[in-house]
Amino acid sequence: MDFLNEKFPDAQLSDQLNGDTEILVDTKEYEKVVRACYEAGYTFCSVLSAIDWKDRLTLVTSLCRIVPEEVNTRTIHVKVDLPRSGGRVWSISNLYPGANWHERETYDMYGIRFEGHPNHRRILLPDNWQGGFPLLKDFVDHRPKRPRLVRHRYAE
Amino acid sequence: MEQAKELLVNMGPQHPSTHGVLRLMVKLDGETVTWCEPDIGYLHRCFEKLSEFKTYPQVIPFTDRTDYLAAITNELCFVEGTEKLFGDAIVVPERAQYIRVLLAEFQRICSHLLALGAMAMDIGAITPFLYAWRDREKMYSLFERITGGRMLYNYLRIGGVRNDLPAGILGTPTDGEDKADQTIWGFINYFDSYVWPQWEALVTDNRIFQWRTQDVGKLSAANAIAYGASGAVLRGSGVKFDLRKNLPNAIYDRFEFDIPVGKAGGDCFDRWIVRAEEMRQSSRIVKQALAWLAENPGETMGKVPRILKPPKGEIYHRIEGARGEVSCYIVSDGGTNPYKVKWRSPCFVHLQLMPLICPGQKIADVIAILGSIDIVLGEVDR
Repeated sequence: MDFLNEKFPDAQLSDQLNGDTEILVDTKEYEKVVRACYEAGYTFCSVLSAIDWKDRLTLVTSLCRIVPEEVNTRTIHVKVDLPRSGGRVWSISNLYPGANWHERETYDMYGIRFEGHPNHRRILLPDNWQGGFPLLKDFVDHRPKRPRLVRHRYAE
Repeated sequence: MEQAKELLVNMGPQHPSTHGVLRLMVKLDGETVTWCEPDIGYLHRCFEKLSEFKTYPQVIPFTDRTDYLAAITNELCFVEGTEKLFGDAIVVPERAQYIRVLLAEFQRICSHLLALGAMAMDIGAITPFLYAWRDREKMYSLFERITGGRMLYNYLRIGGVRNDLPAGILGTPTDGEDKADQTIWGFINYFDSYVWPQWEALVTDNRIFQWRTQDVGKLSAANAIAYGASGAVLRGSGVKFDLRKNLPNAIYDRFEFDIPVGKAGGDCFDRWIVRAEEMRQSSRIVKQALAWLAENPGETMGKVPRILKPPKGEIYHRIEGARGEVSCYIVSDGGTNPYKVKWRSPCFVHLQLMPLICPGQKIADVIAILGSIDIVLGEVDR
């Protein structure tokens, strides 16, 4: 993707196995890069998620193009490295309203906060969930164990 | 003057029109919706966390259970994504590719039948729903003979498919209605000559149905793209974009089919027309696959290592599922288990459209809109 190379010479670009472009950017530049992609025609936010590498989190935003004539359309994955707790980035849901719920889910599962998000709540887990962020690799389920069902003594 | 109060109505979590366990909070001013918010998470089954603890082949049955009405396309997405992680190491035999496409399109017909039937029932027509059930029963008995399961198949394998098609299941192009539940040709002929015309005469051309759906729940093309809509919802808004054409997975580039688009500005009726037309296109693909499969016997499983350990890497694989863009982000750390699986489900994204479309509509139209965007709650919550 040439336009990313020109605008962000510091960012690391690489190719995924299937030809998609990955770009690793700094937290401060994240919104700028997303905006540049948006202006280059990548107006479709396919998915937004994170990967837990045990020493850091990587936020992955996958942006696509909807062009009816284009065959083998490719995706740009904008990646940001964040600390494992207390990571904050700007929300992109003003540009991509469809990213709204993806951001809520990423917060729900990884604890990354999205500043400027219009409705920053948990989405899949209940609002009063206290157990932490389940998709982190060191997540432990602290809820009390349910008693195992045992066969009644007189059933036999 | 006394100010009229807005009324908050809870639809769900167990409302018969919500296609699963969904809570829809709706604020009403008289009969008009002023605000709508879906509340999801009732069916969350930790698919993504569970798959981190299972090996790659063990994840396949989980993918069935995300969208249980179109299980083959989900399997296809995960299986193909994993195969791509291996690079060129795994070659899928051609016959297996054709079987995959055949089943995926057959599944698409099956899933759309239910989508249309359920939408018609939500609006108040119960008969089409029962007709859909009648025809899906025939399809499920065919699926059962091929894969062993009726809804959840666990049939695709990394590197091919589990078993070849059983003898005689393809049938011949002359098979008629009497063989609809015995051969695929029989069903396709039955579908083309009887089922589809019946749907058209019974529902699509039905004046009452058109009144209920036309100009209801309009979604502009720009909004559809911005909100991440895909599949029939995107095409219903007039955007001619189908991943089977624009990013062909499997061997879709070898088949001839058209992409229907909506013409009236993306209302519920457009989405209905697109789905109905897509079933016909799927039946075209199935016929082409059947013609090839009848003449080309062969292997259905490629050479695959006994223990599957993809090299380190990440892959994002997008395919066109029955409801829209199904895609998965798989991260491999070189071990036997996926390091991370992110499942992008179309219904999750489509449900975000409800707060956008619903305000300004009547309360009865909320049901029509919900039916027309065709959600499966199992996939929304994963």
